[in-house]
Amino acid sequence: MSGTQALDIKNKEFMLVGGLLLIVAALMAFFPYMSSGDSEVDWISLPLVGFPIIVSCILLAFASQESRSRKEVIAVPIRLFTLAASLIPLAISTSLFFDWLIAVDWNLGYNEYALEKEYIWIETIGVSWHVGMDGLSFPMVWLTTFLIPVTIVTTWNEKDGATYHPLLLMMGGALIGVFVALDLFLFYVFWELTLIPMFFLILKWGGKDRRYASQKFFIYTFAASVIMLLGLITLYFLQPEGSGPRYGTVTNRTFDMRVLFTNALAANEGDGVFLGKDMQNILFAMLMLGFLVKLPAVPFHTWLPDAHVQAPTGGSMLLAGVMLKMGAYGMLRLPVALFPDALIFYQDIIMAIGLISLVWGAIVCLGQTNLKRMVAYSSVSHMGIILLGIASMQPIGYAAALFMMFAHGIISPMLFAVCGAFKHHYHSMEIGAMRGMAKWSPYLAVYMMFAWMASLGLPLLAGFVAELMLMIAYWHTYGWWILLPGFVLAITAAYYLWSMQRTIFEGGDEGQPPESLNGETPPDITTSENIGMIILAFFTILFGIFPFIALDMMGQWTHELFLTVFEGGGI
Amino acid sequence: MKPEECNEIGMNCTEAFSTEFWTAISPELVMVIGLVALFIIPNLGNSKFRIPLTKLKIPWFLGGKRFAITGSPAIPGMLATATIFATLGMMAIDIIDGSVKTTTITSGDSILFKIDAFSRFFEILFLVAVLLASMATLDRIPAHTFKGKKSMDEMYDNRRQADLYILLLTTAIGMCLVALAQDLFVLFVGLELASLSTYILVAFHKESKSGAESGVKYFIVGSVASGIGLYGLSLMYLEFGTLQLSALRDAWSGTSTLGIIALGLVLVGFGFKVSAAPFHFAAPDAYAGANSPVAGVLATASKAMGMIGLIRVLVVITLPDSSGTLSEESAIWLYAIATLSVITMTWGNIAALGSTNPKRMLAYSSVAHAGYMLAALSAVGAWRWGEIDAPVDYAQAIVAAVLFHLFVLVAFKLGAFLVLGMLEMEGGASRLSALSGLARRDPLIGTAMFIFMLALAGVPPLAGFMSKFLVIAGIVSTSVGTVWVDGSVSFSDLHWVWWLALAMFLNSAISVFYYLRIGVVMFLDIPEEGRRKPLPYGASIRMAIWICLVATVILGLSSDTLIDMCYRAAESLDWD
Repeated sequence: MSGTQALDIKNKEFMLVGGLLLIVAALMAFFPYMSSGDSEVDWISLPLVGFPIIVSCILLAFASQESRSRKEVIAVPIRLFTLAASLIPLAISTSLFFDWLIAVDWNLGYNEYALEKEYIWIETIGVSWHVGMDGLSFPMVWLTTFLIPVTIVTTWNEKDGATYHPLLLMMGGALIGVFVALDLFLFYVFWELTLIPMFFLILKWGGKDRRYASQKFFIYTFAASVIMLLGLITLYFLQPEGSGPRYGTVTNRTFDMRVLFTNALAANEGDGVFLGKDMQNILFAMLMLGFLVKLPAVPFHTWLPDAHVQAPTGGSMLLAGVMLKMGAYGMLRLPVALFPDALIFYQDIIMAIGLISLVWGAIVCLGQTNLKRMVAYSSVSHMGIILLGIASMQPIGYAAALFMMFAHGIISPMLFAVCGAFKHHYHSMEIGAMRGMAKWSPYLAVYMMFAWMASLGLPLLAGFVAELMLMIAYWHTYGWWILLPGFVLAITAAYYLWSMQRTIFEGGDEGQPPESLNGETPPDITTSENIGMIILAFFTILFGIFPFIALDMMGQWTHELFLTVFEGGGI
Repeated sequence: MKPEECNEIGMNCTEAFSTEFWTAISPELVMVIGLVALFIIPNLGNSKFRIPLTKLKIPWFLGGKRFAITGSPAIPGMLATATIFATLGMMAIDIIDGSVKTTTITSGDSILFKIDAFSRFFEILFLVAVLLASMATLDRIPAHTFKGKKSMDEMYDNRRQADLYILLLTTAIGMCLVALAQDLFVLFVGLELASLSTYILVAFHKESKSGAESGVKYFIVGSVASGIGLYGLSLMYLEFGTLQLSALRDAWSGTSTLGIIALGLVLVGFGFKVSAAPFHFAAPDAYAGANSPVAGVLATASKAMGMIGLIRVLVVITLPDSSGTLSEESAIWLYAIATLSVITMTWGNIAALGSTNPKRMLAYSSVAHAGYMLAALSAVGAWRWGEIDAPVDYAQAIVAAVLFHLFVLVAFKLGAFLVLGMLEMEGGASRLSALSGLARRDPLIGTAMFIFMLALAGVPPLAGFMSKFLVIAGIVSTSVGTVWVDGSVSFSDLHWVWWLALAMFLNSAISVFYYLRIGVVMFLDIPEEGRRKPLPYGASIRMAIWICLVATVILGLSSDTLIDMCYRAAESLDWD
């Protein structure tokens, strides 16, 4: 009797939520045709950015009006619809890559974008909703659309799912917005918008110190990005005045990135220096500060371990998987491409920061007893590699940095998924708490070993490709200094293997279940975690064996960047 | 100036109390009529007047046993709200399509008022703030009525209801006078009318002990500041022989010592109104003691009123003029205002960090916001550095940004105060813990409060971000100026006001600490004992909060109309 009753309620909720979503979807489907004058469909604005954000807002508003007990009931349909909604952007981005929907020409020159769309937003100051994708942004967009459903599946059983999963979806929309924005103002809006869902994910589902960690995360990145914004505004006013629909009616200037790149390219040509050396150096430093904190690089990394350790599994997966890449993406998109002369000026400093991040992150990892904190510091270490790639000033180094962003975006969510499963089932994060995991939960042991191996750069897995390319580039530029990062990669192997040895093996025949379980048999992972991790593992192998799937596009972008910006700029 | 002469030089002039005069100021007249109605209507009764020596009784209607309909305690609030709404409607009609008919009202040779885009903009701002406050108080005033089932007479203190709305209306009228005034003395009279009303409004919060105390504090400090300002005005009259804005503008010279002293003293008076450091000490006490909607009016409309004074004095009168003699002296206030702005914003933010009373915190945040606006004003002062024929657009854009900031502040600062007002309805909002668990008790109100906090901190894409962005863009545009030659520029070529933009940004980074704390308390903490249930209903205060919330989001997402409106208002100042 009670069973059928519960089913009835669920059916009603399904219909309600589903009906709402159908209306939204119908509106979304028609909107692109109505809004733009030309016949081409806008595949980015609404399907990839607007849809996730609007759907999640509706679901959140809907869920917030329900009582506590009803929330448990409606969590199921909301979860399912969130997953369904997150699969739509994935389907679209995948088919854009394979030309299933429309033929997209990914063979782009520098400052050319596929699927570009532009609508005037704030006329007075020259802001437009300008979106488009190129070889730099598309891999990141695909990665985001891919990670959202995987994260939702992996953390299927998270408590209070009625609000948790929509927040993940909103996060995805905001992140895609950052990558597709081709307007400085729009870029900044999405840059800050990503903070809000993540703030709530840490605040409401985090660990013991979530209050501290969420605020630290928000304030740290906000403080850095306002400096970046001041740099952007100064840059905006240092542009020549112009007129046209893109230009502000009051300020006569525009936030459009395409115009900005064209101006910079023309000014940098030959011996010319865009804005002059002095101004370039200062603006470069201001923009880099915002991106370095997000990346994060030592010494601005202290928010990351706190945020990761406190964040829920899904939050950590997205934080490490995509949000850190925002920093690297921003660097390559703006300061590096705009100010090549300043890049030369700061080259050694960037190299030093990257090297310090790499070394420091790895050494700190050795001393960690908390599994998640160790993985968080390993992220700092890997992000250092991206900086080394940028500092190398070699095409292969840039391609390596790009591929590192992509590979780390698949591997690190898996690392955090393993940590999350560990925490979820054993109620402890201590490395020494459990020994002989292989005996009790073989699945988790296998995934842990796989993820750890992928992260330390085992050949045939995605991380190895990036590291190898980077080493080549680094050798070309800095010669025997290569011994230092090479040595660090050995340390990386050491801390990963050591932690594996302590958790998976040891403990004798019977193993040693964690004390926090109070003598119960340690369970193995759930089906949903299993599904999520196997997908991540599959793609780690796929991109390890066939890196060119993603690497071709990245290499093309790098090639154009070097040809047009660096060589054209006389560097 | 006689209307005939005035019309000859292309201005639309009207002598005071002529026929055209009444048409021109009809919106303000509606308010005066409403005010009179507020005096009369609640007092209508069945009293009769007996003609002496006869037995003839003539119905007199004022006094006696009050009629049930007109004596209803709900009447004054509705009357006031309707009056302000009607006034607002009359004004909004002609500003939104940008066709404000500029009318100058003269009396003899002097110009009293000027109705133009600038004054209409500010009048609308004041009226919106007062309207929201009066809507919110419809439910709020009888704080205890929601619990008991007492009779109407017992529950409502009729006289007190009427008083509150009379004072709100006189505040609005005084503020409108300030916006219209073209003579510093008229401006001062309006300022005092509004100030005296707000002193009483602050003391009106009888539910708490601190109400009367803060009212007295506010009154004493405020009257000292007014006195100093008035003294400054008298010195200015002594030096220049006039208080007319246009005449002072011609007569002003930065080299006159007495003039500079007078300017300084006048700035003290206005500085108190915008709560700029070091004249801000009364503000936190006043806001914390006043009931929340009134505190909201103080933090938004009253601040905007002080800002009008500053703009009139600093931009219209003493701005480095176009006579071609740009000297350091003519922009003498630039250094003073710039220093004060940095001190104000930093002081406000650091003091807000340490305050655990949400109302005091909002008061200090409003001090910080005053600092941001002073920074913008100093950028206006720096507008012509280095060259005399710098395009006036730069300066106008900054003033427009300040106006934008003042306007959207009504949406989120007042909105935040209204949320605190809802908490006051169930007994006090003077501790941070009063907010705890708000998001669970009432998700919509909690979310609204969080959005107001994010807007105050300047998180995109909310209105607060747009306003800060525009102010900073204005400052940067002045500092960059026209140094951009041949695509190459050195950092040292930028004017030093650029550092004010940096100071603003660093300060907004600091401010995130205390704004986020409110969010954390609302979403994470467990509600206090006795505050587990949802908030009291209060339809009209909820509606006011909704209006604020929608405005905060909409003005952030599509700000074009408002920016245009601000820009037109800024343009209508005397720039040449």
